[in-house]
Amino acid sequence: MAVTINGTTGITTPANTVTGNESVGGNLTVSGTGSVNVTGTVVMGSSFKRNRIINGNMVIDQRNAGASVTPTSSPTYTVDRWEYTFSQASKISVQQNAGSVTPPAGFSKYVGLTSLSAYSLSSTDYFRLDQPIEGYNLADLNWGTASAATVTLSFWVRSSLTGLFGLQFNNAAGTRNYPGSYTINAANTWEYKTVTIPGDTTGTWETGNLTSVRVGFTLGYGSSLTGTGGAWNAGSPSAVTGGTSLVGTSGATFYITSVQLEVGSSATPYEMQIYSDQLAQCQRYYSKSYDTGTVPGTASTTVGSLANISTSGGFSITAAQIKTTLRATPTVTLYNPVTGATGTWYDGGALSPTATVFLYGVNNIAVYTVSGSASSSVYGHYVANSEL
Amino acid sequence: MYTNAQYYNTLTASPAGIRCDINGATSFVPIDPANTDYANIMALVAAGELTIAPAEGS
Repeated sequence: MAVTINGTTGITTPANTVTGNESVGGNLTVSGTGSVNVTGTVVMGSSFKRNRIINGNMVIDQRNAGASVTPTSSPTYTVDRWEYTFSQASKISVQQNAGSVTPPAGFSKYVGLTSLSAYSLSSTDYFRLDQPIEGYNLADLNWGTASAATVTLSFWVRSSLTGLFGLQFNNAAGTRNYPGSYTINAANTWEYKTVTIPGDTTGTWETGNLTSVRVGFTLGYGSSLTGTGGAWNAGSPSAVTGGTSLVGTSGATFYITSVQLEVGSSATPYEMQIYSDQLAQCQRYYSKSYDTGTVPGTASTTVGSLANISTSGGFSITAAQIKTTLRATPTVTLYNPVTGATGTWYDGGALSPTATVFLYGVNNIAVYTVSGSASSSVYGHYVANSEL
Repeated sequence: MYTNAQYYNTLTASPAGIRCDINGATSFVPIDPANTDYANIMALVAAGELTIAPAEGS
């Protein structure tokens, strides 16, 4: 069966024709196997590309390629675009598909956090998994104005612990904060959650290439940082009182995937991305010369590296085009493809000349090496980091 | 964690950026307030928790 929406005649089905304008207050479901044909333009409150979270299904893991890490410096980016932020090092390990449980139907990846000890929170401790969202991707929300848009966060979550868990929405300066919450009802079971929050009508919210909103899942917050949730505040409290502390139980797990943040007061199905599109979205913030599945710093990766020829004086300049225009001028780390060490490249004379970034840009970088072998091939890798 | 921060020059820029170790990895940070590492380094400098050495030859 086909349904036709026409600006002149309204909604038409083989069995019925509605003339003029028609308004449907509830949901409209087309259960037939035909198509929906629109003569004019479909105007939506939201849109395709509606998910403001990047890598919400945790598929891209350029830094670790699925390996487990135990962060010691905060924040530490884990799977792409997701950072683990904490006050105490080495309390949690993070890994794509940690524990190798079956993801929710329709998904292949999740990010898993595992508590490494039974740690008692001090009053100022904090642990969270979060994603900072670039202002360009949220400017239409009009936060900080009277017309601030309501948003809905949805996700699949699974934990060995049950009870109240905290959420956090805040601006870059931390001067606006919304402590939210959700409940995990059954241990070790995937549960689908949706949380709707009103847009903030005050405060300063970035609309350019810096952090606008930081969306966080709290995993343990000290008593001096917690309070009543469910409303915007001026930065305190950061998290809801009574939120479950993952770090309080040795071996406790927290797995999450299909995170979606969209405009409106209801959640829609997770917006799947073509893999290459999603990778490119991540590469705006983190780009590397290594193969996608190779962890930067891996030794013996000359194949696939940048290559050039040095002068008779053992000097070389190599330019590299970044795959996707970066958010901002990147921090660049240069890797020796043979040893995996940083700060040097490698040449055909088996030397490791010092490598230095010569030019920075959001589309290109240039590197020079000195004190290498004369008239020799030169190999090197880079990571360009432009994270928020 | 930022350690061993030092400005460095190139033929075209003085300084061209900051060479420092970020979590132990030698890295090159541009002079760009929109770069998160640069902003973090400047915040540490302002707090008196990090010193950036001048470029060699300066």
